[in-house]
Amino acid sequence: MRTQNATAYRFLTPYLLIFAVFWIWPIISSFLISFQATRTVPWRFAPAFNWGRLIGDPAFYNALKNTLLILVIQVPVMIALAIVMAVLLNSPLLKARGLYRFAFFAPVVVGEVAYSAVFRLMFSLDFGIINKLLNSVGIPKIDWFSNVTPAMALIMIAVTWRWAGYNAIIILAGLQSIPEDVYEAATLDRVSKVKQFFHITLPLLKPVIVFCAVLSIIGTMQLFTEPFLITERGGPGGGTETLGLLLYRQGFRSLNFGYASAVAYTMAGLAIAITLVQLWLMREPK
Amino acid sequence: MAAVTLTNVVKRFGVFEVVHGANIDIADGEFVVFVGPSGCGKSTLLRMIAGLEDISGGDIAIGGKVMNDVEAADRGIAMVFQSYALYPHMTVEQNLSFGLRMNGNPKADTERRVKRAAEILRIDELMQRRPKQLSGGQRQRVAIGRAIVREPQVFLFDEPLSNLDAELRVQMRVEISRLHKELGVTMIYVTHDQTEAMTLADRIVVLKAGNVEQIGAPLDLYDDPANRFVAGFIGSPKMNFLGAKVVDTSNSAAIIELVNHGGARLHKPLREAFPAIGAEVVLGVRPEHFFVAGQGDCDIPVKADVAEHLGSVSYVYANAGPEELILEREASRQRASGDHFTVSIKAERSLLFDKAGARIR
Ligand SMILES: Nc1ncnc2c1ncn2[C@@H]1O[C@H](COP(=O)(O)OP(=O)(O)OP(=O)(O)O)[C@@H](O)[C@H]1O
Ligand SMILES: [Mg+2]
Repeated sequence: MRTQNATAYRFLTPYLLIFAVFWIWPIISSFLISFQATRTVPWRFAPAFNWGRLIGDPAFYNALKNTLLILVIQVPVMIALAIVMAVLLNSPLLKARGLYRFAFFAPVVVGEVAYSAVFRLMFSLDFGIINKLLNSVGIPKIDWFSNVTPAMALIMIAVTWRWAGYNAIIILAGLQSIPEDVYEAATLDRVSKVKQFFHITLPLLKPVIVFCAVLSIIGTMQLFTEPFLITERGGPGGGTETLGLLLYRQGFRSLNFGYASAVAYTMAGLAIAITLVQLWLMREPK
Repeated sequence: MAAVTLTNVVKRFGVFEVVHGANIDIADGEFVVFVGPSGCGKSTLLRMIAGLEDISGGDIAIGGKVMNDVEAADRGIAMVFQSYALYPHMTVEQNLSFGLRMNGNPKADTERRVKRAAEILRIDELMQRRPKQLSGGQRQRVAIGRAIVREPQVFLFDEPLSNLDAELRVQMRVEISRLHKELGVTMIYVTHDQTEAMTLADRIVVLKAGNVEQIGAPLDLYDDPANRFVAGFIGSPKMNFLGAKVVDTSNSAAIIELVNHGGARLHKPLREAFPAIGAEVVLGVRPEHFFVAGQGDCDIPVKADVAEHLGSVSYVYANAGPEELILEREASRQRASGDHFTVSIKAERSLLFDKAGARIR
């Protein structure tokens, strides 16, 4: 037994080394960096320098507010949408199932830059198809990029478009694992299809839904691509700046590694905290 | 309570016909068992009665009312599934009351029904558990309880005991029998186990490849099967089939020669039909109908390959010529493997079939 383990670890060593150098060390290192003043050479240990600044920084609170706002609205809407899509995909009435499944999943594989460019075009003030469609039903055109509220909505729409199908596919797998005869039993129990959905399907999907929600929360906490590319670096005027973007600005533009590390740890800490709260809320009774 | 009538019921899956015009009359309060080998269409028939499968042809009536276009929920039936199909996220109590609660049944009445079902099935102690925390037998009870709570006109069971071990199966079989006596409700029960069929049924419907082969009381099927399939299916161990040839006929009997047993001859009285001389026929003899040499109408020599003595009963697997025979009771007592001995067949304790398997009476 012992020698077997030793052999196994010897085979694992190359991976573990790489893991230690490129994963473990950066995590520890950035934690240490977050306690150092990195604007001076040499760096010096000053715990209050970054963390103190964070606590009083309006840019941080703005980014935090935007991130949480997107999280609170976009994640539930997307999960609900994904459930509806999964149920439709699972319907025996649906023809060309494979095609729909591909179509729902496709946004995930489309390049981020390409998709962002297309979204910018679609939502452009004068030429975008969205404003034309809105116009045709009598709604005045919206300047998606110059006002904060439409810009935030645009971010949420884009993120939802990109990830709803992905979540729908995961939920579909959950749906298909519910045995058919449970529904037959419910049918014989005179329970309507709608009640079956709310009293059987949803409760049995709970673990899968929690899984999707946790993934989505972690993803949204790190949101970067959309505000960077679609609303042009968190525009208008920081109105869509997220924590991810703030981190980027501090770390890569201002080369303020200490502060960026502190922001990164805050993001990770928040994601873990929210996830734990959610797992606790959704725990199995008993 | 209600009678169930199937008239020329046909089921097709696409172009593939799996039930070919079944006619079955089930009286009010009767316990009927559908039995047959795997894939013969038992579940399909049951699911058509339940309303879980469309009816491709013919009529199904429950309580005198044709149900072809009535929703499953409105047919007044309850079904117990082979897989139990319990709601995994609900406690036993919630499982039992779910249907009633969803339909706005008065709370007091729901509680009364759930309590009664729990008492009948002795599952009071399990009410707060979830299906995961129950044994197979307990789950089965809950599944039956869910059916009882509905107070249906007809109970349908689809192989409810096949996931249980042998001992529990016997126990549950007795309970289901007791339940039928207690509730007095029509029950239709599907199984491929002929022992379950024999012990539970008022009447058995034997199915084969989508056809009804015979309908009758257990002992009638045992004593007087309509064909070789039913004769072989009912009874355990299986009936022995001996190759034979008609060598002579009179106006009340046929003389047949057992071709694999040294030309032994049997004078077989017949009432209805007389096969042609030279026709190939099959003689069916149940294991328990071999007698001590000289006591029957035709003696045949056998050699015991394997002898099994279970105490109350002994089996001998005898390979006499190319035909393996199973012997039971007197003929097999005190025999050991390797023994050569002679057994005897009685004409009135044997059945004659033609080459196609139809009974010659
Ligand atoms: N949904 C379906 N589509 C096509 N063929 C089916 C379907 N359901 C059943 N069949 C076919 O119908 C026939 C009868 O099936 P059924 O399930 O009624 O058999 P059964 O007698 O219950 O067998 P078992 O003892 O194995 O449960 C089988 O040949 C089966 O392959
Ligand atoms: Mg079946």
